[in-house]
Amino acid sequence: MTTPFLHINGIRKTYGDVVATDHVELSIAEGEFMTFLGPSGSGKSTTLYILAGFQDPTAGDIRLRGQSILRTPSHKRNIGMVFQRYTLFPHLSVGENVAFPLRVRRMGQAEVAAKVKRALSLVRLDGFEDRMPARMSGGQQQRVALARALVYDPPVLLMDEPLSALDKKLREEIQFEIRRIHQETGVTILYVTHDQEEALRLSDRIAIFNRGKIEQVGTGPELYANPATHFVADFIGDSAFLSGRLASLKGGRAAIRFEGGQQIVDVPLHGAGQEGQAADLMLRPERMELTPEAGPAGASLPVTVQDITFLGNCTSVAARTDWGDALTVRLNFGHPLAGRVARGDRLNVRWSPEAAHAFVRG
Amino acid sequence: MLSATSGGRGSGLGFAMPAILLLLAFFVIPVAFLLMRSVTEPAPGLQNYATLLGSTTYAKIFFNTFFVAGVVTAITVLIAFPVAWALAIMPARWSAVIFAVILLSMWTNLLARTYAWMVLLQQTGLINRMLKAIGLIDQPLQLTNNLIGVTIGMVYIMLPFMILPLLGVIRKIDPAILQAAALCGATRAQALRRVLLPLAGPGLASGGLMVFVMSLGYFVTPSLLGGTANMMLAELIAQQVQSLVNWGMGGAAAFVLLVVTLGLYAVQLRFFDQAEAR
Repeated sequence: MTTPFLHINGIRKTYGDVVATDHVELSIAEGEFMTFLGPSGSGKSTTLYILAGFQDPTAGDIRLRGQSILRTPSHKRNIGMVFQRYTLFPHLSVGENVAFPLRVRRMGQAEVAAKVKRALSLVRLDGFEDRMPARMSGGQQQRVALARALVYDPPVLLMDEPLSALDKKLREEIQFEIRRIHQETGVTILYVTHDQEEALRLSDRIAIFNRGKIEQVGTGPELYANPATHFVADFIGDSAFLSGRLASLKGGRAAIRFEGGQQIVDVPLHGAGQEGQAADLMLRPERMELTPEAGPAGASLPVTVQDITFLGNCTSVAARTDWGDALTVRLNFGHPLAGRVARGDRLNVRWSPEAAHAFVRG
Repeated sequence: MLSATSGGRGSGLGFAMPAILLLLAFFVIPVAFLLMRSVTEPAPGLQNYATLLGSTTYAKIFFNTFFVAGVVTAITVLIAFPVAWALAIMPARWSAVIFAVILLSMWTNLLARTYAWMVLLQQTGLINRMLKAIGLIDQPLQLTNNLIGVTIGMVYIMLPFMILPLLGVIRKIDPAILQAAALCGATRAQALRRVLLPLAGPGLASGGLMVFVMSLGYFVTPSLLGGTANMMLAELIAQQVQSLVNWGMGGAAAFVLLVVTLGLYAVQLRFFDQAEAR
């Protein structure tokens, strides 16, 4: 196996008894856009801060092109970073902010000017050199921060929820810019966010963090189609989870029995379990179909309609199974049932085979 | 900010009236009298000023005053900056305790504190005995009745006046800005010089000016810890007025001190206005 460009090797970080990250193991290719996705406190920011050199891991190593960087102080790591908060130097103009990394490297005046101009052009802020940061919008400030982080051509760029302080529209606009900049510069990016949509939009691969560990790494479609754990299935996509028990197991596929005796058969099972153990059936909303007729036995369930919400391009129908679990089915605009379904209706939910997954409850 | 001051100017004057009257009655008018006496006693003319600014005796007093004030300000800055920085970044509970200790020392009687320094600094005092015990010196150091004693005593008294304004500006600096500077490649020294010091500039300027100006006119500490051979301006004024009943000379010295102080203040105002305007 060849040496990975960036290797996060078994990083563990504890604060007293609290474990912030545990056995974080990840290889990142040069030029890759890797996102750490997870809820707050899941260890994704801690991992990023260890990469930046603001924290030392309790155990593990980080290697860039095969060389450990843990003993290198932050200012010698040559890594770029854009922070969650606005961290432009308030007493310096935009041009001087972007020039800062070059000035501390004692680069010549002409070269500094040329590089600053190019970096500002990259983030579409040509001619803003003399503006003071306080006179710029949040989005513009983060673009300047991006220019400052890229002006010295770092091999790795860290981004710690850089868009979380911005409103939704601006966020999407800058996400688009970040993608373009990634493509233009080819810089390796490690991006931290808790927003699954942002992660899916930006990343080549996503590492899902939960309770200090990486639950799964993969491309967006991989994670969506084949979630390895209940947590991943829950975190990516708005899925329904129906709680039952394992009725039988065979070759990684299982049958699940629900309260009241209804049974679903032949769904892929994730996690090790045995008969009688509690398990959840996951159903993706866009793969479910609502019909008045009874569906195939073992791959459909009767439900009672609880609420109907018109959302423009679709109608969202909230329903409940006979044992009380909630699920939501979307009816596309123009669906024959869309105008006719009413609260209290008894209908059947059916799904395509690849849309169902079973997870052992652990 | 701008609209608040300009919009409230008409009504603001009314509220400020008691303060203005107070200043007029107890500051402006007495100072005017003093100024008058400095040019009329013992005879009309500027001879008091001529003596004050012309003779080497007085030149030495001016030098002592500005030298001590300058050294005290410099040392105070050097001590206060790391203290304020530590207070700003340490856990809130700890910084509250240390902050309280600083304030407590500020509220303790000035004479008591100065006498305490006399006890510590004298030939048989704690400091000399300690230095002797650890073998750094054979003979006790002369730490009182000279400018060394004055400087030590005044640095201690001025420290809170430097720490408070510095803490105000440093607390407003986001630590993430320094992390950003580090990742940009700045060493600690570069981050200090290029980021921290410029951002703390207003606090340094206002604290430094306050300490310098207070030091220029300080009386108690120089008179207790300093010797008669090393007189400072405030002591000269007291001596002229109280012992020699020479209001003319005392008034002239006081007026020179006032002009210097106001001049420094004007410089700082300009400096600040420019900093704000950016």
